[in-house]
Amino acid sequence: MADLSDEERADLVAYLDGELDEQAAQALEARLGNDPRARAEAETLRRTWELLDYLPRTEASTSFTHRTLERLAVQTSSQPVMLPASRWPGRLLALGWVAAVLLAVAAGLGAANWLWPQQQTPRPERPDVEALVVQNPRVLQFKRLYEHADDLQFLRELDQPDLFGDDVGW
Amino acid sequence: MSGETSGQLALRDPDIRLMLRVRDDDPVAFGELVELYQHRLVTVMQHLVGNKEEAEDLAQEVFLRVYRVRKKYRPRAKFSTWLFTIANNLALNALRTRQRRPVVPLNVHDSGPLGPRPAEQLVRDRAGQPGERIQQQELATIIQRALEGLNERQRVAVILNKFEDMNYAEIAEVMNLTTKAVKSLLSRARENLRQALKEYVYMDGEPVPVEPDEA
Repeated sequence: MADLSDEERADLVAYLDGELDEQAAQALEARLGNDPRARAEAETLRRTWELLDYLPRTEASTSFTHRTLERLAVQTSSQPVMLPASRWPGRLLALGWVAAVLLAVAAGLGAANWLWPQQQTPRPERPDVEALVVQNPRVLQFKRLYEHADDLQFLRELDQPDLFGDDVGW
Repeated sequence: MSGETSGQLALRDPDIRLMLRVRDDDPVAFGELVELYQHRLVTVMQHLVGNKEEAEDLAQEVFLRVYRVRKKYRPRAKFSTWLFTIANNLALNALRTRQRRPVVPLNVHDSGPLGPRPAEQLVRDRAGQPGERIQQQELATIIQRALEGLNERQRVAVILNKFEDMNYAEIAEVMNLTTKAVKSLLSRARENLRQALKEYVYMDGEPVPVEPDEA
């Protein structure tokens, strides 16, 4: 008998996949019963398909979910500052002035404490926190991102290269 | 697709209910969704792009895209069909735009003793301990290369059919094709795989049946 045509081969593959309707399947089975070459082709197609079972089933890395959620948190936290393009220059300038004023205040307080330690003003209700902030202006700079951290331990975990590598990008 | 309402689909598909929770900004639902589908998505992506790191990047991008469009989600089919439609689009874009690099065997070095051996060597080994001599890693490498020898659409159809057990109708929906087109696509893909892997199909010592003449 003649080799299978492209259409017949497509029916054969569909038959092997259980996708052929009953009438077409019966016709094909009759052909396979009478045609050893068609049977041979069906068998090699079936066995080739089974070879794909040797391909490994990959698992995502253990940190995948965490990294995905962290990336989402960074993206969604950045959305409030995604301003319409037409207002970018003005708002950016305003933000820059605010940041500059805050840094100047922090620097001034630091200098005053260093030069006139005896003249320190009475500490407010939470003096340790304010001193830490003054000594670490990056806290002010990244305050918006820190707001998403539940606790200090989580912030420390962000610094682990094997978890986040270069993804943090700060 | 099946005439069912969204509610009926949601009743039958727990993943649709999960996605509806994501849509409604349930704070833990998105994490649950990532946990549920991460391995399947990474597996599919890895077989498409051949690289685990890139596969994870693409899988992550799929989830982020799901989150971004969550408010527009309306269940019209199985959730996995919708998810893999997004995955298919991203994967095809990645395959078409990136610079292809030679495939790096999975944990196998070409020049070492465990490297993929020529087919002739593997055939001779059949006489000793058929199948057992061929380490599974070698065969996996050979099969992965055969898979990457398919064009992008054939590869996607094969992977969805084989690894996600999608039927022709589901694959058609994911790939935006007719069922007839998927049938033709899979037929050509499997014939191409048969040609690429013909020397390995009967490695277990089974008698080779009569083959059609080579064209």
